[in-house]
Amino acid sequence: MNPANLEPKYDAIIIGAGAAGLSAALGFIENSEGLANKPKLLVISKLQALRSHTGSAEGGIAASLSNEEPDNWKWHYYDTVRGGAWLVDQDAAKLLTQNASETVIKLEHSGVAFSRKQDGHISQRNFGGHSSNYGGKPIKRAAYAADRIGHQILTSLWQQCIRKSITIAEEWYVSDLALDIEHKCVEGIVAINTHSGTVQAIQANSVILCTGGAGRLFHTTTNSWDLTADGMSLALRSGLQLEDIEFIQFHPTGLGHTGILLSEAARGEGGVLRNAKGQAFMEEYSPEYKDLAPRDVVTRAIINEINEGRGVKDPTSSNEQADCVWLDLTGINPKTVSEKLPQVEETIRLYSGLDPNSEMIPVKPTAHYMMGGIPTTTDGQVYHWNKGERNVVEGLYAAGECACTGLHGANRLGGNSLLDACFFGYRAGKHAVLNLATLSDRTISNSASELAEITQKRSDYIQQLLNNAVGTQNNSSNEKELSKDNAYSLVNALGKLMEDTVTQSYNESNLQAALVELTNTIIPAAKTLPLHDSSATFNQELTALMEAQNLTLVAQAVLRSSLARKESRGAFQRSDFPKTDNDNFLQHSIIDSGGQMGWQPVHIVDFEPSI
Amino acid sequence: MCTSQKALENRGTLTIRIHRAQPTQKINEAQTKRRKNPFAEKQAANKFLPSIKYKRWIQDYHITASRQDSLLDCLLTIKRTQDPSLTFRYACGHGMCGSDGVIINGQPGLLCKSLVKDHAQSHFPSEASVEAGSFRSTTKSKDERSRSQDFPTGINTEKEQNSLGYIELAPLNGFPVERDLVVNTGPMFQQIRTVNPYLISDRIDHLRPADQHEQIKEHLQTPDQLKEYESYSNCISCGVCEGVCPIYVADDAFIGPAALVGAARFIYDSRDAHSEDRLEAINDSEGIQACQSVRACSRFCPQGIDVGEAIWQLIEKAQS
Repeated sequence: MNPANLEPKYDAIIIGAGAAGLSAALGFIENSEGLANKPKLLVISKLQALRSHTGSAEGGIAASLSNEEPDNWKWHYYDTVRGGAWLVDQDAAKLLTQNASETVIKLEHSGVAFSRKQDGHISQRNFGGHSSNYGGKPIKRAAYAADRIGHQILTSLWQQCIRKSITIAEEWYVSDLALDIEHKCVEGIVAINTHSGTVQAIQANSVILCTGGAGRLFHTTTNSWDLTADGMSLALRSGLQLEDIEFIQFHPTGLGHTGILLSEAARGEGGVLRNAKGQAFMEEYSPEYKDLAPRDVVTRAIINEINEGRGVKDPTSSNEQADCVWLDLTGINPKTVSEKLPQVEETIRLYSGLDPNSEMIPVKPTAHYMMGGIPTTTDGQVYHWNKGERNVVEGLYAAGECACTGLHGANRLGGNSLLDACFFGYRAGKHAVLNLATLSDRTISNSASELAEITQKRSDYIQQLLNNAVGTQNNSSNEKELSKDNAYSLVNALGKLMEDTVTQSYNESNLQAALVELTNTIIPAAKTLPLHDSSATFNQELTALMEAQNLTLVAQAVLRSSLARKESRGAFQRSDFPKTDNDNFLQHSIIDSGGQMGWQPVHIVDFEPSI
Repeated sequence: MCTSQKALENRGTLTIRIHRAQPTQKINEAQTKRRKNPFAEKQAANKFLPSIKYKRWIQDYHITASRQDSLLDCLLTIKRTQDPSLTFRYACGHGMCGSDGVIINGQPGLLCKSLVKDHAQSHFPSEASVEAGSFRSTTKSKDERSRSQDFPTGINTEKEQNSLGYIELAPLNGFPVERDLVVNTGPMFQQIRTVNPYLISDRIDHLRPADQHEQIKEHLQTPDQLKEYESYSNCISCGVCEGVCPIYVADDAFIGPAALVGAARFIYDSRDAHSEDRLEAINDSEGIQACQSVRACSRFCPQGIDVGEAIWQLIEKAQS
């Protein structure tokens, strides 16, 4: 399954092997069974497949199964649109919620070990922002597997890929995407075998980007270390755009200063947020949903409590600031905690040394999810937005967190991300394989000239880096000198800058100051980062260097888009424009690597905005 | 005691000793497959790829750390501030992805789930502690010996008031080393694949109704039925059980505890239609019959899976 060598050409390449990538692979293969010539598919990942960040998802996957109480996909549709602060493209949300039950059941058929009711049906629990009857009482909609739904889904999808003999190239890093010169179709990718350091051009008629999010833009994040905006950067560097990239979800309950996720399920099972006075403050901010309000509402509430002096210190850290609040799980039956929240319990005990059954846990908002990303249609096709039109790039797709169908709008509901990745991932794979016939008839580029040029440039760059490796003897112990000297310390500095900017609050002057620091100091430093070791074999620093460059490029897009959106909406808050402005900004932002901005109207289908 | 004072006492100097390796020539991917040469001498640990020359050395790093830090935090600090070339796998940082299995002070574990306070020792395990009357130094004077009693590396105890101690790291046993702490886990995944680790149900057609207006349904499975295999389904394929199993490390042919847990996961899943076939497939000298019930696998599983007991029960089931 993990090939020793890759071929020079495939019909389709999927970049990333998380829920979206593996779902796309299955969508591709399962819908190719009727075709005359079996198309050649390659899944390529910079990690070993089972290590993808999907595995860290904890809480659940949302669908109107009606296993616990009567539910309706239309209520889920409404919740998604409202939860996204009306910036949601409703056609995408409608498709997702209509097909949610089938998606979840298919996952069960694939082997996912869902938690069960006594009657044998899949259990469901409460989750933030999910209501019955168009904004009524909270509803049990999230299907779950203890608190390890991500691990179960990732493992089951991987197992199904084994069954279908899908080839996954592991620990190959995709450094570049090659489109033809007019950006109308795909030529292929440049991939680096990290085991040997060799650079290879791989031609493909179709590429599906499933590279995940960009939590590593921030110092405190739930995300794995590898979530470095790679796919988003590939798109930008190929002349394409990012949509709504300013919308970044901060999960309300990261454990203290570690940023490690404490699932929303903890609140779903009865956990309560308290301030320094011991008050369950969410009653004030959201009387109807309290601790299970949508995540942006809860995060804003926590930040407000802290800013008004009712925050608490993290007793497990040397940090002196009262920048946390308490998560109180002491009211939950300890048996329930160990059965339904085993991962949350273990995380708390190991990383804070606290006992959730008798002590309150310090929590703090942590960077978690990118609502925005590479703009795609509901079939997963990547397009370029120009003069009010979507110009599809033939053969190029994106799915999962790196993509933006407009589904999540300004804030994502819990339980919708796994659903998005699985449903739209599969859909993109299916569309890609059925579309292959039309692509192969293209007269353009069996020459793949752009690909050849980009490959040569990348290869030369890497060789130059290796030849000029500075060695580790020269390191001084002075941290200041080193701070821009290696990829790891640069990403650390970037993370602190982005986090400080968000914490202080977004406004014109903070954002401009951050953009200046980024553009004048960090980006130039990223461009001239050296390597310290000249061996090409498993040179992690080489990958880290390219990841650092990807992060800085996308950080620039985030700050620029943030400056351009002069309103507050959902997860995006500005202290100088605190109100939502539907007259001017009921639109998606579109930005390219040069900072050129465009705006795309939101697709309103069934629900008129009510804010 | 206020928070910051307590926190300050938790910080200090930590010495990490790492068994490093770097190939001195390019790896040929074709050589990463485990050799099946029956005439080859069985090595106690098939540690290095055959015919690839490796530069091997031990390197000590001194960092400032806190007792609550994970070893992953420590290694990332080294990468960031001292040596970006130090190579080790990591991804999620909180014990869910299974990528960072290594040997810590002689025992396997995950870097991100191992905290300084639980692993730092007063001396390196690979150095004998100098007790009175045990080893007699031929070079040091009696005074010098007693001063360096607890710190054989010769560090002055007075200066090290805030020394958190010593930790030794080495790559996981049982797999060929690629670089530093990164091993080739390909053999483990190949072995897992041999047990057909995917649900094979014979009821799918009933659950997917012919009439497209009817809803697709899930298999029914009670909580008790789920309990039968849920623990096995929590396996994150980290390789720790294989790294500590003396049979796996010594014998190319044994498919290993990870593959057996993978098989058990489906044998006990009420939705799967092939329990008997699956059990038969692993009931041979390369499968469960190779297990000697050492039980080291259970002791170190980071997910708390009783691997040894699972294999034992498979053996009993196969015999009945």
